[in-house]
Amino acid sequence: MTLTPEIIALLTLDVIFLGLGTLALILSLRIAYRWDYASSTPLQYRLTKQSTLVAVIIKYIFILKLPLFLFFVYTCDKLSSVITGAMCASGVVNSVGFGLDLTLFKLFNLYGFGFWLLLHVEDTSHVRLAYTRLKFILFALLCVPLFAEIVLEIGFFTRLDVSKIVSCCGTLFSAASSSASLSLLFNVDARLWVCLFYFFYMVSLIALGFKSTAGMIVSNTLFLIFALISLIVFFSTYVYELPTHRCPFCLLQKEYYYVGYGLYIMLFTGTFCAVGGGLLALMTHTIPYRYWRLSGLFNTAYVLSISAYPLAYYLKNGVWL
Amino acid sequence: MLFSFRWLLLEYAVRSLFRRFGKNFFIFLILSFLIFILSSVLMIAESIKAELNATLKTLPDITLQRFVAGKQTQIPISRVDALLEIQGVGSVTPRIWGYYYFKPAGVNFSVVGLDIYEEPYSATMARLIKDVNWTQGSYDAMMIVGEGVKTILRENYYNDFFHFITPEGQTKKVGIAGVFHSDLALEANDLIVLPKRAAYEIFGMNASDATDIVLKVSANVSEIPTIVAKIIEKFPDLRVVTRDDIRVSYQNIFDYKSGFFLALFCVCAFAFFIIVYDKSNALSSEEKKEIGILKALGWDTDTVLQEKFFESFILSLGAFLFGLATALFYVYALQAPLLRAIFTGYSALKPPFDLPYTLSVSMIVLLFLLSVPVYIAATLIPAWRTSIVDADEVLR
Amino acid sequence: MIVVSNVSKIFTQAEERVQALSHVSLHVAQGECVLLKGASGSGKSTLLSLIAGLAQPTSGSIVVAGEEISKMPERLSAQMRRERIGFIFQKFHLIPYLSVQENVTTPLVPENLPLHVIAEKAKRAMERCRIAHKAHMSVHRLSGGEQQRTAIARALVHNPMIVLADEPTANLDRKLSLSLIEELRALKDEGVTLVVATHDPLFFDLDFVDQTIELHHGALRP
Ligand SMILES: Nc1ncnc2c1ncn2[C@@H]1O[C@H](COP(=O)(O)OP(=O)(O)OP(=O)(O)O)[C@@H](O)[C@H]1O
Ligand SMILES: [Mg+2]
Repeated sequence: MTLTPEIIALLTLDVIFLGLGTLALILSLRIAYRWDYASSTPLQYRLTKQSTLVAVIIKYIFILKLPLFLFFVYTCDKLSSVITGAMCASGVVNSVGFGLDLTLFKLFNLYGFGFWLLLHVEDTSHVRLAYTRLKFILFALLCVPLFAEIVLEIGFFTRLDVSKIVSCCGTLFSAASSSASLSLLFNVDARLWVCLFYFFYMVSLIALGFKSTAGMIVSNTLFLIFALISLIVFFSTYVYELPTHRCPFCLLQKEYYYVGYGLYIMLFTGTFCAVGGGLLALMTHTIPYRYWRLSGLFNTAYVLSISAYPLAYYLKNGVWL
Repeated sequence: MLFSFRWLLLEYAVRSLFRRFGKNFFIFLILSFLIFILSSVLMIAESIKAELNATLKTLPDITLQRFVAGKQTQIPISRVDALLEIQGVGSVTPRIWGYYYFKPAGVNFSVVGLDIYEEPYSATMARLIKDVNWTQGSYDAMMIVGEGVKTILRENYYNDFFHFITPEGQTKKVGIAGVFHSDLALEANDLIVLPKRAAYEIFGMNASDATDIVLKVSANVSEIPTIVAKIIEKFPDLRVVTRDDIRVSYQNIFDYKSGFFLALFCVCAFAFFIIVYDKSNALSSEEKKEIGILKALGWDTDTVLQEKFFESFILSLGAFLFGLATALFYVYALQAPLLRAIFTGYSALKPPFDLPYTLSVSMIVLLFLLSVPVYIAATLIPAWRTSIVDADEVLR
Repeated sequence: MIVVSNVSKIFTQAEERVQALSHVSLHVAQGECVLLKGASGSGKSTLLSLIAGLAQPTSGSIVVAGEEISKMPERLSAQMRRERIGFIFQKFHLIPYLSVQENVTTPLVPENLPLHVIAEKAKRAMERCRIAHKAHMSVHRLSGGEQQRTAIARALVHNPMIVLADEPTANLDRKLSLSLIEELRALKDEGVTLVVATHDPLFFDLDFVDQTIELHHGALRP
C-alpha cells in the first residue's frame, strides 16, 4: 500500500461518496417504492423533500466525479514515474488485475450520472413530476456500478505495489498483449477499424439529419467504441509519430501537450449528448434536439482533430506510418 | 441552456455570509488554519523531494557494497580490474568514506577520502575541491568542510585545524583548507573531504580496501539491469545499488511520511467538520424565518440550496486561498520554521538548506480537492435541512 | 382569477389532527378585492398560503390564473409566485441588515435577469411606494411606516396580478393603516386582484371591497 497525498485525497473523497451514496440509495429506494404524486399525505410530503436531498447528493457526486476522473488518470500518470517499467498511466492502471475495469466503470458512471441529471432536469420542469419514480429507480440501479467503482478504487490503491515491475504500454497495447480481447484488436488490420470509425460517424450524422432516436443511440454507441479502438491501433501512432507506440494514455502526458484531455472531452461529450439525449427521447417522447446538435458539433470536432494528425504527418513526411 | 449562472444569487450569498459574520469568521479561521498546515507539510515534502532529486542526479549510476555475514564490510580494491572487464561499464572508482563521531557535539560528520590527483567520481566533488589550496604547512593533512561542520568546529574552538582521533588512539591534526558553499546544501552540509591517505588513517583501514566501489555506465541506461546481473554473477557477495533504487526509496520515504501526516490531519479535519455540521445543522429561528420569507417571495428549494452552496463554496474557497497563500509565505519565504523538523530531524547537521520553490498545478489541485469538496460535503445535509423549511410557518 | 373549490386542510401532528379549513369554496374574479374576515385561528392565513401555493390542501383544488396551483410541484408554484403573486406579510418580514433596495429585489434573485432590468424594476417599485430616497439604508434602521412601504414595494416589484395581504395593518397605528388602505385602493384601481385577510374594523366598510368572506373554525360563514 502506498499512501501518496494524491491517493489519500482520492480515498477521502471515495469515503464521502460512499457515505452520501448509501444515504441517497436508502432514500431513493423508499421514494421509488412509495412515490405517489397525486396523494397529499404527510408521507408524500416528506418524500418530496427527501427527493431534493437525493438530487443534491447526486449532483455533488457527479460534479466532483468529472474533475476526479481526470485527477485519477493524472495520479496514475504521476505514479508511473515511481513504478518500475511503467511509462505512463496504462502501466499503473494495469498493474492491478482490475485496473482497466476500474477505469471503464469510472467512465460508465460518468455517462450514467450525466444521464440521470438530464432526466432530473426534465423531471423538475414537468408539471406532474412524471419521471420522479423512474429517476429514483434509475439511481438505485446506477448505485451498483457506483459502489463497484468505489470499492474497486479502494482495492486498487491498497493493492498498488510500487516495487512491483509492470509492463509498459508498448507491450499492453500490442498483438502480444496478455489480454485476449486486446490482442485481437491488433491482429485485425487497422484500416478496418478506421473505416468503421468513419462509417459510424457518417451514420450518426445521417441519424441526426433524420432525427432518429434509435439511430442516434446505436450509431453513437458504435461510434464511441470504434473511435476508442481506432485511436489505440491507428491514430495514436500518429500523435506519437512512432509506428509501434500505441497507447490511449500517453496522449495525456506533457510531451504531447496534454492533447488527450481535449480529445477525450470532445469524444465523450459528443457521444454522451447523443446517447443521453436519445434515451431521454425514449422516456419523454420529445426530441431533445439541442443535445443532438451539441453532439454533432463535438463529434465533428473530434473527428476533425483526430484526423488532422495522420494528415499532417503525411503532408510533412510524404508517407504513412 | 442547462446551467445559467445566477450572479445575483451569488451576491446574495456573499451578503448572507457577512450578515452572520461571527459564526462564519470562526469557521473561516479554523478551516484556513487546517489548510495552511496541510499545504505547508505537503509543500515541504515536495520541496525536499526536489532537493533530493537534484542530489540524486549527482550520484553514481551503480554503487557496490560488500556484505559479509549480513554486515557491510570493505571491498578489496583488487576487484576493480575484474569489474572493468564487464561490458558497458565505463569507469570504476573505489571510494573511501565513512562517518566520524564527534563526541563533544554529539554529531556525525561524513568523511570522504579523495585523491586530488585522481579524477573525482562525481562532478559535484570535482566542483567542491576545485580552487582549494592544499599546501599543508605544519599540519598532518588538509581538509575542506561543509558549512555545518565549520560552525560546529568553531563552537568547539577549532578555528584553523581539527584533531581527529584514530582507532588506535593517536591524534591526527588536520588543517582546514576551505569551506564549500554548495547549492546542494542538504548533502554537503556535514561533509569533510580530505586526502585518501588521511582518511585511511582516521578510519584505521587497510590501504588495499575500499568502503565501496562506484561504477559509471558507458552504455545505455536501459542496459543497467544486465550489467547488474553480470556483477552479481561474478561477485555474489556484492550488493548492487542503482541510482534508481535510491530514488524509489527516497520517494517512498517522503510519500510515506507525508501520507502518515495526512492521516493524522484527516482525524483533526474530521473533528472540525463534525463541528461545522453541528453548527450549521442547528438552524437559528432567525434563519428559519428568512428562508420562509424567501420561499413565500418565490424562491424554490433548489434556489435556496444553491444559495447555501454558494455560501459554503465562497467560505471554503476563501479559506483555501488564504491558507495556501500563508503556507506559501511560511514555507518559501520563512523557510518553514518548526514544521520542517518533521522531515529533516534525523540529523542535527542536516537542516540548514533552502527549500527550493516547487509549487505545481497538481499540488494546488490536490490541496483544493482535500479542502473545498470535503467542506461542502459536511455542509450538504445541513444546507438541505435549511432549504426545506416551510414558508407557511412564517406567515402565521 | 382565483377559484377555490371544496378545499380542506388538515394538519396532523403527533396523532393530533387540526382541521384548519373545511370545504371552503370561493371565486375571485380578475380585479376584484376580497376581504377575508374571521377570528384568530379561523384559518385565514392557512387559506392564503394555500392560494399562494406555499402549502397544499388535503383535499379540493385551487386554480390561480388558470393553473392548478394546488397540484403543482414546488418549482413551478414558486415560479408562479415569482411572476404573478405579491405577498404582504403580517409583520412586514423584511430581511434584516439588508438595505431597502436589496430587500425589494429579493423576489427577482432566482430569475436570471440582467442587472439593469432588475435595478429598473426596483427603482420603479420604490418610487411608487415613496421609499426610493432610503434605497441604500439598512432596513432595521427604518421607521415602522418606512418598513411597511418597503414591504409593499417588495410585493409589487415584479408587477404581480394578484396581491395577497395577511393582516397588513396588524402592527400599524391608525394613520399608517389608513395610508396602507389608500395603497391598496390604488392597486385595485390598476386592476390588481386583491385578497386581504384581516380582522381590523378599518377595512369593514370600504367602498372598493367587492366581496367579504368570513371564516369560522375553518368553514365559510354564509
Ligand atoms: N403547521 C401547523 N400545524 C398544526 N396546526 C396548524 C398549523 N398551521 C396552522 N395550524 C392551525 O390551524 C388553525 C388556523 O390557523 P391560521 O394561522 O390559519 O389562523 P388565522 O385565521 O390566520 O389566525 P390569526 O388571525 O391569529 O392569524 C389554527 O388552529 C392553527 O393552530
Ligand atoms: Mg394569521
